Order: sequence, then structure tokens, then C-alpha cells
Amino acid sequence: MGAELRFPLRYRIGGLALALLVTLILAYLILPQFIILPLSFSDRSYLSFPPTGWSTEWYRKIAENPSWGEATANSLIIGIPAAFLSMIFGTLAALSIGRGSWRSAGLMSAVVVAPIMLPHVILAIGLYPIMIRLNFLGTHLAAITGHTVIGIPLVFITVKAVLAGQNGSLELAAMTLGANPWQTFWRVTFPMIRIGVILGGILAFASSFDELMLSLFLTGAGTRTLPKLIWEQLNEFLTPTIAAVATLIFAFTLVLLAIASGLRGLGSRYQVKSHG
Amino acid sequence: MARINSDMGGARKPAPWSVADFYRLLAAPPALVLALFFVLPILGVIWRGFSDPAPGLTNYRRLFADGPYVQSLWLTVTTALLVTVLCLITAYPVAYMMARARNSVQQLIGALVIIPLWTSVVIRSYAWMVVFQRRGILNQALTATGLVDAPIHFIPGNVAVYVGMVHIMLPFMILPLVANMRSIDGRLLAAAGILGATPVQGFLRVFLPLSMPGILAGSALVFMLSLGFYITPALLGGPRHMMAAVLIEDQANRQLDWGLASALATVLLVLTVTVYSVYVRLSSRVDGGLAHGR
Amino acid sequence: MAKHGARISLIDLAKSYGNVVALHPTNLVIEPGEFFSIIGPSGSGKTTLLGAIAGFTPPSGGRIEVDGIDIAGLPPYHRNIGMVFQNYALFPHLSVFDNVAFPLKLRKLPRAVIAERVGAMLATVRLTQLAGRRPSQLSGGQQQRVALARAAVYAPRMLLMDEPLGALDKNLREEMQSEIKLFHRKISSTVLYVTHDQDEATAMSDRIAIMNGGRVAQCGAPRDLYEHPCSAFVASFLGGANLFKVTGIENRGSGAVSCRTAQDHVFDAVDPSSGSRSHTSYVLRVPAEVIEIAPAGGEVTAKEMNRAQGTVVDAIYTAGTFRYQVEIGPAEPVSVRRPATHRATMLAPGQKVAVWWPASSTLLIPET
Repeated sequence: MGAELRFPLRYRIGGLALALLVTLILAYLILPQFIILPLSFSDRSYLSFPPTGWSTEWYRKIAENPSWGEATANSLIIGIPAAFLSMIFGTLAALSIGRGSWRSAGLMSAVVVAPIMLPHVILAIGLYPIMIRLNFLGTHLAAITGHTVIGIPLVFITVKAVLAGQNGSLELAAMTLGANPWQTFWRVTFPMIRIGVILGGILAFASSFDELMLSLFLTGAGTRTLPKLIWEQLNEFLTPTIAAVATLIFAFTLVLLAIASGLRGLGSRYQVKSHG
Repeated sequence: MARINSDMGGARKPAPWSVADFYRLLAAPPALVLALFFVLPILGVIWRGFSDPAPGLTNYRRLFADGPYVQSLWLTVTTALLVTVLCLITAYPVAYMMARARNSVQQLIGALVIIPLWTSVVIRSYAWMVVFQRRGILNQALTATGLVDAPIHFIPGNVAVYVGMVHIMLPFMILPLVANMRSIDGRLLAAAGILGATPVQGFLRVFLPLSMPGILAGSALVFMLSLGFYITPALLGGPRHMMAAVLIEDQANRQLDWGLASALATVLLVLTVTVYSVYVRLSSRVDGGLAHGR
Repeated sequence: MAKHGARISLIDLAKSYGNVVALHPTNLVIEPGEFFSIIGPSGSGKTTLLGAIAGFTPPSGGRIEVDGIDIAGLPPYHRNIGMVFQNYALFPHLSVFDNVAFPLKLRKLPRAVIAERVGAMLATVRLTQLAGRRPSQLSGGQQQRVALARAAVYAPRMLLMDEPLGALDKNLREEMQSEIKLFHRKISSTVLYVTHDQDEATAMSDRIAIMNGGRVAQCGAPRDLYEHPCSAFVASFLGGANLFKVTGIENRGSGAVSCRTAQDHVFDAVDPSSGSRSHTSYVLRVPAEVIEIAPAGGEVTAKEMNRAQGTVVDAIYTAGTFRYQVEIGPAEPVSVRRPATHRATMLAPGQKVAVWWPASSTLLIPET
């Protein structure tokens, strides 16, 4: 056919070159994370190719040092409540802006999303004096507050996306059938957005778990989070213990990601399409 | 079973009911939280820039007098710009392939983009340290193959910062690009072909312009994130490549000069908001883009 | 079976959005148990009207009385209406049974009663075997039936339907139209049916209101509207009408008139207002199916007929009907619809023909 003749070797090579380029870029994107894996098992304090030998020494060092366990606990104590609060406030914001027919809906959305767009350092030095005044600073509350603020946009965005996928007619239908606004929310809206809320919550938790800047200002000796401890270690000694910690965190991240992807797959079951 | 209005007959007409009213109430709690813990702190920062240690413009005068601060701000902007451009060039082919590929390939590329996105920035920056450090694998490869005589000091340094930042920002450029490209109807390119365009012409004249909203969205996002970035420049750039966020943190935490830190932060805020407004202005002319809340 | 539907009265019901008037003050009375359709082009206000009655669109003025009670201040969940949406709005996370049971559960009915009523309703729409399925597993027609069942299971006195068949293909639509009609007879509530398809409305309704530009253009039984349209808009919306612009009118007594058209034909017509004309511009309306057509030279000379000579411009055959476009003057097309009986030969484009029709079927009506 004429169409085939129009695509001479030139274009095939072009397509191949593109694929090669993309592969290189993807390698650039994915490989660095995996470099820390062999380093954490190395028997030297640096990574070498070819590897000189294996050891689990660095993992043992984690177990020996109670700071790691403490920091992990702090990260969880801060992250889980922050994620929950983000889920609540982010969902309320998404519902209100999504269904409230506000004239300035665009502006309101921008304000809700702003915490993740603006540099965290600004928020950090802004919250610090307020946390002092509220006496939150010695406790986990300071970090929980800060992490909630940066978690709200994430829940907002995911829930809003789910809401946009279904038009409001489901809720209107429920109301014509006799459901008052609370019943409508609980029996119709919430089951629909539940997946989006949980997904947003996971995102918020992941963001809190990784948050460094806010923790630098809002946590202290007793409430130090994992990123902050890693940061301190990085700036002082550069041992592969950090690689071991990083590997563990990376594994944890992959688990979270798998859960989130599974949820997203579940969510698409709820799209009803009429076949006519 | 309709509830009869009890104030019938002579009473004033009941106000019409509206669905939206209920939903508007829901805005109150998040509005309160954001007002107290987001808007208020930022206002406080702006205020402190003008009032600590004494009311007036001293902090700003210090900032803009020739010196390290202006240099740092300039460096921040130029770095962010360069990172954005590099990201765009690197991300476009990936996004292009991902948007036009078969489902299985799409999922694969998607996974390869999402995994780094979810990985902690600290960890990713650390990984680049491992690559770039004096005894890191890059130097090992370079010395082993004889390309250089002695290990290069990548860290602290510009190259490491750019490589690291582009790596972190790449998913933020790829995803908006893909989202936009997916919505470009493939039949438009087929139509261009029927009308006589070569694939290259089809790309330049049809696909590229249509991908503009994605380009704008991704670039705006990466630029704004790069302006305020801390972790990677701090780890890989050190004192020779001090970006604004690093400077602000240093002033606040170590130098304890909160006034100057706040003034710096205010400038950074203004820069970021400016970028966003430019983006909004441009994108309303181009159609489509980041979530706008409608 | 006694009519259990509500009487709905709209009194000066109006809705504006800022400066834009979506609905001018409208007055309508819908009788209990009636199947009442509202049709009109987009933007005519029919959706606004429905929204006001359902409770989603707060009116800017006027009253909505259901059995004498003003419901304008009531939220939808207190109005006890049933509503069927164009996209069915079935709850995807509930089974068919649970969808239909939803309103009954809200009313806190005992489980046994719920099971019985849902079962009866599913039997009425013939979906008993599919009770356990999810909406995503049903076809469009089946989903529509579930929506019907759900909207009627708690015996509301009025059922609102917003273009419910818009998403279905032609054959399915016609099947569903009979279903809905049957359904209406069984539940005997008042049905308010909004559609843009005039054939659908004509086939199903007791009365129709045609809306245009936020006002009711005409309201009445389908045949009345078709045979006695009160304006050119109504005539052309219902389709199948020829309209001739009128330049001069001469009264000939007792409602008969003689009219000169823009192309200088003179036709005899009937004036329904019997001489008391108050509009500025008028048209003559002739339905396409009363016009006879024959090759030139073969006409019937009969009294009380309007006739004209012309050329066939287009000839189409569709499922048992010949449709001709004949030009009897420059830019004056006439649509003729004749049954395609077994032996009739179809006329061809370019053929010279004569057309004629009874003066009594020629109606003088205002343009707007």
C-alpha cells in the first residue's frame, strides 16, 4: 500500500532513536533510587563497581541505634493524625467548592492548593512563632498542624477529581427520593468518593513521612522525625547506615504505592456507563 | 408524606430553598484551618520582614544592596529557569511516547515515573550524593576508563545540583504533559497526513501547538517548585550554590536573623506568586492546564 | 383505578439569572393523573421549569402549588416527588434491588414491607431476575427501567422526567415510550415529561406545553396543537407544516379570508380569530399531508381548493411515504407528503406539477 512506502527507513530509525532516547531518560529516572540498594549491603563504606563484598552490617547498626526507632515512631505519630485531619478538611473543601456553585471557585481552589505550590520554608518560618505562642512546639502538635496544612491540598485534589467524574445528578436524585443533605452525603456521596478520600489520605501520609523542611522548624529533640534524623546524619557522617535506612523507607514507599494503585483500580469499578 | 409548612395562611412567603446553600456551609472548617495555619503565618512572615528588628525597610535595604543575598536570589531564579528548560527538553520525548503508546507500555512508563515521584526527596538526593561523591560510582567509572586522572569534585557544585534537581522535577513535568497529550486527538495527525504533511511537519504544526497547555502547566509547576527548593540544592550545592530556601533556613535557624529571613521569604513568595499569575494569564489564552477549580 | 396524582399549579412562576430571564411569569395547571409533556428548543426554559418544580432551581417569583399547597420553600426531599434523569442517576455502589429500596429505607419502612414493594415494582418493570446486579452490568434500557421503578416505588403523586430517553437509540426509544406509557397507566400519578422530541411528546401525552424563549407558546392536546397551532413557531416546531408569509388579508365574512402571499399567490384560508387580528405579521399554514399533487395538466378542479403550479425540486421515499419538495414560486418551497400506495409512481425532480389543497385546511396564524 502507498502508506507503507511513505515511511522509509528514515522514519523507522527516527522512531527507534526516540525509543532509545526515552529508555535512557527513564533509566536516568529510575536507577538512582536503586543504587542505594546495593550500597546498603556493601561491606565498605562506599559503593563500588564491581562490588567487593556483601554484609548486613549497616542494617544491624540501625537496630543498635535507638534514635532510628524513635524517629520512625515520631514520623508515624505525626503522619497518621496529619493524614486523617487532611482527609477531613480536604474532603470538606472539595465538596464545598465542587458542589457549592461559588462564583470565585477558581480563586478558592487556588488558595486551598497553595500550600503545596509555595515553598515550604515560608510556611515553616511562618508557623514557628505561632506554634511557640500556642505552646505546641515541644509536642508533636506543631508538626501535625504543619503537615496537615500541606496534606489538605493533596486530599482536595484527589477528591475533587473523583467528584468531577460524577455529575451532581446522583445527589440530586437522592434528594428527590427523600434524602436530606446529611443522608445524601452519607449514603450517596461518601461511598462514591470514599476511594478518593483514602487515596488522598495515603498521599498526605506519604508527603508527611517525607517532609523535611517543616520538621526542621517544628520538631525538637523529642519529636524528631525520620527525615530530620537522616538529614542530620547526612550532614555529619555519610555512612551506608543511611543507605540501609533509605532502602527500608523505599521498600515502605513501594508498599504504599502498591496499595494506592490497587485502590485506584478499585475506584474505576464505580464508573457507570450506559450501553444503550 | 410532604411536610406541610406550618406557617401557612397570612405568614410571609418562605424563602426558596437551594441545594448549593448546604454545600457552602461545608467550606467553614477548612477555611478556618487554612486561615489560622496558612494565611496567618504567611502574613506574619511578610509583617516580620518589615518590622524585625525595627519597623522599616532595613531588611530590604540589606537584601538588595550589592551582596550575597542578591546573588543568591539571582542564582535561585536562573537555576529554576535552567532546571525548567532542561526538564522540558528531557520530559517531552518521554511524555510523547507515553501518551501515544500501547496500554501496556503506557503502564510501564507510568510506573517508572510514579515510583520516583513517591520516593522521598531526601532519599533521591542522597542517591545522587552516592553517585557524585569523590569515591562515588561516577568518579569510579571515569577514573577506571581513564577519562580523567583524578576524581572530580562534583559535590558541592552546579552540575550535581542541576542533575539532581532535574531528576526530582522530571515527573512533575512529565505528568502534566502526558495529561494534555492524551487529550490530543490522534485523528488530527492522521488528517494532517492525508492533507500531505510529513510526520515531522505534522508534529511541528499540529501536535506541538496542541501540547502547549501541558507545556505551560508543567513548566509553571516545575519553575515554582524549583524556586523554593531546599533539599537537593542544600545537599548537592553547598555554600557555593546557595539557593533562596537554603539561605532563608540558614538565616532563621543558625544566624537567628528572623527579620532578614522573613524579608527573603517575602521576596521568594512574590516571585512564586508572580510566576503563577503569569501562568494563569498565559494559559487562559491557550486553553486548558492545571486544575482551576471549576 | 382512581387517579392518585397531584394537581400542579404554576402561578406566575418566573426565574431570572441576573439580567437573563430564563422563565417569564408562567401559568399552567396540570390535572391530577395527567401525562403532561413540556417541549421546546434548548434554552426555551423547559429545564428551568422542571428544576423549579423539583426544587433544584429556586424561583425568582411566583408560586408552585401542589394540591393547593405552595411548595416553593420546600427542599426536594420534602416534596415527595419522583424524578427520572436523562443519565438515570442510578447509585453505582448499590444493586438494582437496593437502588429501588433506597427511598423506602429512608422512610424507615419495615424490611418485609420494603421487600414486598420493591419486588412488586421490579415485577412491573420486568426486572425481577436482575435484582442482584449492579447498574454497570445493565443495558441502557434496563437502567432506565430501574430508574423508573426507583422513582415510583414510594407512590409519589407526581413523577418528573427530564429527557429520560435521550441517551437511547431510536428503536429502544420507541420501545421505552410504550413502557413508560404503560407504567403511567399502572401507577396513575401525574407525569411531567420534558423532551425536545415532539414526536415522542405527541405519542405519549394527554397534553403538551410548547415553550419558546422562556414562555409557554401554546398548551393543549397533541392533536389540537397540530391542527390548530396558534403561531408559526408552534406550527414549525411540530413539523410537517408549510408556512407562507402573508402580505395582504381580505375578510370574506364568518372567519373566511383571502390572503396574498409574498410571491403573489392568492389563497383562501380560515382565520381562527374571526377577523379580530392584533398581530403585525401573519403566515398561512398548510400541513404537508393534505396537499394533493399530480403532473401538470392532470389537476382536479374542485371548489374550495387552493391551487398552484410548480416544479418538483426533490423527491424522497421513506418507509411508505413519498416526500416531495415543490417550488411554486422563487424561494417558495412546498412540502408534500403522500402515502406511497402500491401502484403509485413517484414523481421525479424537474417534473412540472400542480398542487392543490382544501381552503379549510389553510390556517391564518400570527408569525410569533
